[in-house]
Amino acid sequence: MGLAFNRRNVLLAVAGIAALGAAGPTQAQEWPNRDITFIVPYAPGGSTDPISRKFCEILEKELKVKLIVENKPGASATIGTGAVVRAAPDGYTIGLGSNSSLAYQPLEMKGLAWKDTDGYQSIVKLADLPSILGVPADSRFKTFDDFIAEARKNPGKLKVSVSGLRTTPDLAMQHFNKQSGLRVTTVPFTGGGGEALLAALGGRVDGSVGFGATMKGQVDAGKLRVIATFSNDKYFLFPDAKPTGETPWKSAVRTAYYVIAPKGIPQPILDKLFAASKKVLEGEDFKAFAVANGYTMDPKFGDDMKKELMDYERQFKEVNDFLESAK
Amino acid sequence: MTAFEGLFYGLGVAMTPANLLAAFAGAFAGTAIGVLPGLGPVAGVALILPLTFSLDPTAGLIMMAGIFYGSMYGGSTTAILLNIPGESASVVTAIDGYKLARRGRAGATLTIVAVGSFVGGTLAVIGVMLFSAALAKVAILFGPADFFALTFGGLMVMARISGGTLASSLLPMAVGLALGTIGQEAVTGETRYTFGILHLVEGVSLVPIVVGLYGLAELMLLIEDKAHAAARPQSVKMRELLPTRTEWKRAVPSWLRGTGLGFLFGLVPGPAATLSSFASYRLEKAVSKHADEIGSGAIEGVAGPEAANNSAATASLVPLLALGIPFTPIAALMISAMLVQGVQPGPLLITEKPEIFWGLIASVYIGNVMLLALNIPMIGVWVSLLRIPLYLFLPILLVLSVIGAYSVRNSIFDVWVLLGAGLLGYAFNKLRFQLAPLVVGLILGPNIEKHFRETLFLSQGDLWAFVDTPIAITVWILVAGILAVGYFARRRTSVATAMAQESSL
Repeated sequence: MGLAFNRRNVLLAVAGIAALGAAGPTQAQEWPNRDITFIVPYAPGGSTDPISRKFCEILEKELKVKLIVENKPGASATIGTGAVVRAAPDGYTIGLGSNSSLAYQPLEMKGLAWKDTDGYQSIVKLADLPSILGVPADSRFKTFDDFIAEARKNPGKLKVSVSGLRTTPDLAMQHFNKQSGLRVTTVPFTGGGGEALLAALGGRVDGSVGFGATMKGQVDAGKLRVIATFSNDKYFLFPDAKPTGETPWKSAVRTAYYVIAPKGIPQPILDKLFAASKKVLEGEDFKAFAVANGYTMDPKFGDDMKKELMDYERQFKEVNDFLESAK
Repeated sequence: MTAFEGLFYGLGVAMTPANLLAAFAGAFAGTAIGVLPGLGPVAGVALILPLTFSLDPTAGLIMMAGIFYGSMYGGSTTAILLNIPGESASVVTAIDGYKLARRGRAGATLTIVAVGSFVGGTLAVIGVMLFSAALAKVAILFGPADFFALTFGGLMVMARISGGTLASSLLPMAVGLALGTIGQEAVTGETRYTFGILHLVEGVSLVPIVVGLYGLAELMLLIEDKAHAAARPQSVKMRELLPTRTEWKRAVPSWLRGTGLGFLFGLVPGPAATLSSFASYRLEKAVSKHADEIGSGAIEGVAGPEAANNSAATASLVPLLALGIPFTPIAALMISAMLVQGVQPGPLLITEKPEIFWGLIASVYIGNVMLLALNIPMIGVWVSLLRIPLYLFLPILLVLSVIGAYSVRNSIFDVWVLLGAGLLGYAFNKLRFQLAPLVVGLILGPNIEKHFRETLFLSQGDLWAFVDTPIAITVWILVAGILAVGYFARRRTSVATAMAQESSL
């Protein structure tokens, strides 16, 4: 005997669905009552996986449920980010985002599940990671001013390697080019910054724009000198490097990491998420991790984070237009 | 600290119970990962990465390295027994290994491989220990133009890797190169030939292609071969597990050549273990005394590549430890493990954290001994698998292949790729096209393109950049030499055959 498709059954079904909907708020009050999945749109290795795992490790203690870290890499982080954006907005799927995956990729790729900051829920900004410019230890450029002077004398002659075309180090350099009117050529490499650094150490380029974690070891060994940091303030890892924000051109595009969730999470769950992440970021444990790994902290929640990402959308768009016009 | 003081100091570190356990766990897991088709060392190391955060940094790195070189031992098992390479580094092992197994020499071949892996791994770690600091500079010398010469030259030299006519190799190679262009271009991230399919953005992954081309196609051929399917599998005698004197003798020079070649590959960026196994196979074909047998089941065709991939896996510790720059995905994971633990990778590691540097190197010695002890007794077990009747065996194989293809990226799409590759492999077999050039094309293609584009970005479009460095020029001259020698040698043989035919008329 099958289920007859009559009015009685249909009404029952509708009532059932309505009841499920009504159960929503009560569920939210109990949130979280099961494991939460945290999607990292990058492969393990590199800077994104450790910061996610650290955040989850502490958040777990705050929320008293397990956080399962899932790496979903690929397609410039858009595959994993898409998985978060498209997940059910029940607070059980959140994930890592970066200003590159959230604000830059929508400019480059069509058909993504998010176009701008309205496509997802901003939760919290975890940290900034400044890009830095390193030159070989025996380079004639002792300071960033030397470098700029040479760039002005010979436009387009100076080359710096970056870890890939339109990665945040590349965008940082290009934004600086746009603001300053200088023309430093970026040469993209692959392989997570390692090969880009190798090109600088081997003298095939004049310098390399990358991150502290990759360069620190070479600096300690006296093979590399960091002359600039693409940030507003001094970078504690390399206090001698000149912040680009202190040049007349005020360009400071960093890499920033955020936590996002799908759009439409009930407010009570959101409030709990904000409160818990706030506690994580204010705790000594996370701060110590950030310092040890070269992150600078600048916590922003919800709408403040959204505003920052909108700024990045605008900056990236300007850089793209600039690169388009320079062609 | 001299190298030998360092080694003794390292042995002290590696011999602590925790570190011994870490080495054993890594080696054991590595063997298992190697034996299972699909799940490769990168996925294996990524899986245990979070686990190592709770370990002492030295123990964590010892375990990760163990998985990498351990998988080089296990990877050849299924390649030899079933014609299904467990890793991409074991593809060439399948060519001669499987033919040897069909001749009843499976046990002997597995022994040669295990000992060859031990030789490769151990000699390479001696090299790492003695010359790390000096060799680290080698990597800095190589620029994109040099890598382009190496990879593109390699493609030309390896065109006829598995014998056959030139045409029967070139078409599959072109197919491999074409497959390699699918997905995101390495430097700019531009997507190509994806037809809006999200799975293709990351490109076609190697494992389903390899398992399909070799394994699935072999299954189909076995089923088709009804006489064979009905035949009772022969039982294997103990005597056949051991190589004969001649087999040992023939293996030794190949081991040594493979080890040397693998070591060089390990020093520079690229998929070292896989490439070195192909290069070693090619080298054996060129210089071995039994070169004419290679391709139809020669011990050299197995001994060389297997020593080479182990040696390459171990040598890739050089850039990791002495330079602090990762060249392989696994090295990147190990760097990540160091950073999370607050250990700064870089040239100063050896002086600032000698317990990690020397402990890791010493553990590789110990790990290789463990692996030998672990693998030799297993050979009897593996070989007895061949006694399972085919009607039970084939379904199990099919299931294993599908799981293997699925597990790489947890993607059902890859299972379809596997089936497609199986059909292609079957067709190529029937039409007597060579399969190995396809795999060479698929592996080298993206690398060639990447270095090509990097060179042009660096030179701002100046094509002379490709022959602008001493290394690149040397490589091109060598490639031209090898191709010329091969061409004239073949012409001489064909002239000789023609004359012999004429005189017999």
